[in-house]
Amino acid sequence: MRRPRIVISGLGAVTGFGFEWQTLWSEMLLGRHCIRPWQPEGAAGTSFPIRYAAAVDEQSLPAYLQTHPAWSSELEKRARYGWVAASQALTDSRLSSVQWREVAVLAASGAPHHWLSDMQLAFPDDGDEQPSWRHVMRRADQVRRDGALRQSSDRLARVIANELGSQGPVLNISSACAGAAQAIGNAFHMLRRGECELALAGGADSVLNLDTMTALYLLGAASSETRWGADLCRPFDAARAGLVAGEGGAFLLLETLEHALARGAEPYAEILGYGTSLDGYKLTAPEPEGRGASQAMAAALDDAGVHPEQVDLINAHGTSTPLNDRSETLAVKRVFARNQHYRRLSVSANKSQFGHLIAAAGAPEILVTALSCREDWVTPTLNLNEADPDCDLNYCPNEAKQQRVDIAISNSFGFGGLNASLVLAKYRSEAP
Amino acid sequence: MTPSRSLHAEVSAIALCGAGCVLATGIGVDALWGAACAGRSGIRPLQSKHFRSTRIAAFGHVSADDHARCLESVPRHLQRYCTPSVIWGVSAVQQSLHEAGLDPSGSGLRFGLYTSQGGYTHPSLDAYAELLQECSAAGKLNIRRLAARILQESALDPFLVLKSLSNGLLGIVSLCYKLEAQCGAYMQGVAGNQAALREACSALRERRIDVAIVVAAGSEMDALALTDLVRAGAISCEGAMAFTPYDSKGRGGIGGEGAAALILRRQDDLEIGHAVCLTEIKAHTDFDALPFADTHVDLLISHGAGIPGIDKELCAVLARTGATHISNSQALTGILSGSPSLVDLIFAREALRVQQVPAIAGLKRAVMPALPFACHTKPASLRHALILNRDSNGFSAGYRLERRCIQTESRVA
Repeated sequence: MRRPRIVISGLGAVTGFGFEWQTLWSEMLLGRHCIRPWQPEGAAGTSFPIRYAAAVDEQSLPAYLQTHPAWSSELEKRARYGWVAASQALTDSRLSSVQWREVAVLAASGAPHHWLSDMQLAFPDDGDEQPSWRHVMRRADQVRRDGALRQSSDRLARVIANELGSQGPVLNISSACAGAAQAIGNAFHMLRRGECELALAGGADSVLNLDTMTALYLLGAASSETRWGADLCRPFDAARAGLVAGEGGAFLLLETLEHALARGAEPYAEILGYGTSLDGYKLTAPEPEGRGASQAMAAALDDAGVHPEQVDLINAHGTSTPLNDRSETLAVKRVFARNQHYRRLSVSANKSQFGHLIAAAGAPEILVTALSCREDWVTPTLNLNEADPDCDLNYCPNEAKQQRVDIAISNSFGFGGLNASLVLAKYRSEAP
Repeated sequence: MTPSRSLHAEVSAIALCGAGCVLATGIGVDALWGAACAGRSGIRPLQSKHFRSTRIAAFGHVSADDHARCLESVPRHLQRYCTPSVIWGVSAVQQSLHEAGLDPSGSGLRFGLYTSQGGYTHPSLDAYAELLQECSAAGKLNIRRLAARILQESALDPFLVLKSLSNGLLGIVSLCYKLEAQCGAYMQGVAGNQAALREACSALRERRIDVAIVVAAGSEMDALALTDLVRAGAISCEGAMAFTPYDSKGRGGIGGEGAAALILRRQDDLEIGHAVCLTEIKAHTDFDALPFADTHVDLLISHGAGIPGIDKELCAVLARTGATHISNSQALTGILSGSPSLVDLIFAREALRVQQVPAIAGLKRAVMPALPFACHTKPASLRHALILNRDSNGFSAGYRLERRCIQTESRVA
C-alpha cells in the first residue's frame, strides 16, 4: 500500500535571534551567532564559570506578539517560548482556525526551572530549624507560579492543546536532547499511519538557571572557556570545550501532502524517514565509536527508502563537546562509507549559531534543515578554525554555502544514550 | 487533556508475554493479584520525613523493604542516577523479561524500549537540603555563597539534571540491559502510558522490532503534587484512609506510586498456546466519549473517583459497555501517575489467565447496585476484557484485551 507523503507546511521559532524564523534564517546565512555574555540570576559578579549563553531577548519582542497570552500566563520560560513558537507556526501555515481542533500536538521539553526564591521558602522564620518542605507548604501561596514547583513537564503540550482546542492526539515527549526530534519523528509516523492529518510538533526549553547550568558544568558538558569570548561554541574545532546553552523553541506544522494541497498550502519540505536508537553505553557520554548514532541514521534512511549516497547534507547534533563531535563524525563515516560518500557530504552544526536548546534542540535544527532543502543553502559551522584531526568531514566552516540540497538528515542525540535522526527532502510535486 | 483517536486495527494481535510491577501491594504480579483476590489494599497511612498532613491521611506507598529489594536490580554504579521510581521501573522490567523468558543480550531479537514517567519531575528538596543549610545564616540564603559552593561537586548532586529529566527511566533501563534498541520516552499518567503502548504496538506491527518493553513509573509523594491533586479533586483532603471507587460511602481518591512493565510481542511470533492479546487502544479527552465496539465484554476494569456523585456519572458510561463483571485496581494501589494503564492491563491479563473476577477492595455497597460490580473474587469464564482509564488532567483511554488460543487464531488467519 502506498504510504501518504508528509510535508512541513508551517514554521515557528523563538531563539536568541528573535521571535521569527525568518530572522533566524537570515542571520544564520550571514554567519552570525546569538551567543552573548550571561550569568544566572543572583550569580552576577561571582566566580560562576559559565559566562555565555544564547538567551532569548524578551526586550526585542515584536509589537504584534506583545499581546500573546503566553506573556501574561503563569508559565515557565520554556512553555512561554514554545507556545509563541507554536502560534507562529500555525500562523505561518495559514491553517484555518476551524481546523485547529484537528491538530495533533507533540511537544518536548526538558529540565524544570527552579527559582532560588522558592528554595528560600524552605527556611524557617527563626533560622533555628533545618530547611524543610513543611516550611515551603506553609508558604505555598508564595511559591512562584512560573517555576518548577508549580509547573509540570507536560505543561507545554497542555497550553498549546488548550489554545487549539485540540482533540488530539496530544503527546508529551521526554527524551533529553533528542526530545524535539522524537516529537517531530513521532508526529511524522502518526501522520503516515493515518492517525491524524495535521500535527504541530516540536519543543521548547530553557536551562539558563543556576542549578541546571551548574549540573551541566559539573557533568563536564558545558563550556567555561574564556579565551574565545562569545565565540566559544566551536563544533568540530580542535579547541572545542563543551556546549553553550541556548533557550527557546520551535514548532513545525506537519500534514499529509494530500491535506496540504487540498487547502492550498505550499510545503517547505518533505519528511521521508525517522529512526531512533539507544546506545546502551553510558548515561552521560555517547558511545565513543558512534554506534548508536549510526544506528539511528541507518534506521531513518531505511524508513525513508533512501540510499546513503543520495544524502547531500547532515545537520549534525554537533554540540561542541569533545566526545560528541568525534563520535558523531565516526558515525557519519560508518553510515556513508560506501564510495566514501562522507567526503562529498556537507555537515553543518547549528548550535554554533543559536546554542544548544537541550530538549528543544532538534526543533529549530529540523526547521533549518527544511529551509536548506527549500533554499539550497547550507548554514555554516561557526568558529571552526582548526579542525580536530578526528573530525575530518566537510563541516562548511564559518560561511554559508549555496549548494543543491535534495535530501538531508538532521541528528539529535541525548543524555541517556538515546538518538534520533530524521530524513528530509526538497519538496517536489512528484514523489521522490 | 491528551486525547487520541481510535486505533482499532493498529494493535491487533499484540500479545502480552510478560509483566512486572512494584506497587503498594508489593513486588510482582503475584503480590498484586494476591492482594486483589484477598481484597487487601496496599494503601497505608501517609508517611513522609518532609511534611505532615492531617487532611491527606493515606497513600499507596511502595514500602521501604520493597524499595531496598528493587535496588538489587540496579547495578551499583547506576544507582546514583536514579530516582526511586526509576529503580522500581528497572525491577518491573526485570520481572517482565523473566516471565517472558527473554534475555535482550542473547536472544537475537530486535527490542524496542518505550517508557512513561509520571509525577512531578523536579528533584526533591533532599538534593538541596545540605546546601541550603550550609549557605544560610539567620534563615537567609546567601546566594553568592551558594553559587560558589555548588561548583564544588560535593555541594550539589551533579546528577540533579539527569534525575529531573523524564527520560531517566529510558536511559537507565537501556543501560541495565545494554539495549541498542528503538525507543520513545513519554510523560504523565494515562496519556504517557497510552503513547508508549501505541508506539510499541506500531513498531511491532510495522515489524521494526520483534519485542517491545513498555515500562512506566512515577510517584506523587511530593507535598506540592499532592496539593495540586487535591485542588484537581483527584484525591481526598478529608482524611480518608481507604479508596473505595464506586462505593456509596466513598470519601475520595488516594494517591499512589509505583512502576509496571509489559513485554509485548506479535501474536504470530509466539508458540502455540493461550495468550492474552491487546486488540484495541482507544482514547479521547472525555471519558464518556470513548467509543465502544459492539463486542461482548466479560470483564471491565475501570478507574473510579471514590466520590459517589462522580462515580454515579461514570456508571452511565460503564453501563453502556454491557460488561458482565466490573472491577477496579486503584483501590489496591492508589491513583497512579506513573503506570495507571499498565497496571490495569496487568490486572486484566491476570483475570483472563486465571479465569477469575477480582473484587474491588473495600466495596460494600455500590453507587449503582444494578451494575455488576465485583464485591467478591469469583471464578468466571472470561475471554474479553475492557479497560477504561481517566486522569485528573482530563485524559481518558480504553484498551481491549482478548484471551486467545494462538493455534486456532493462526489457522483462521
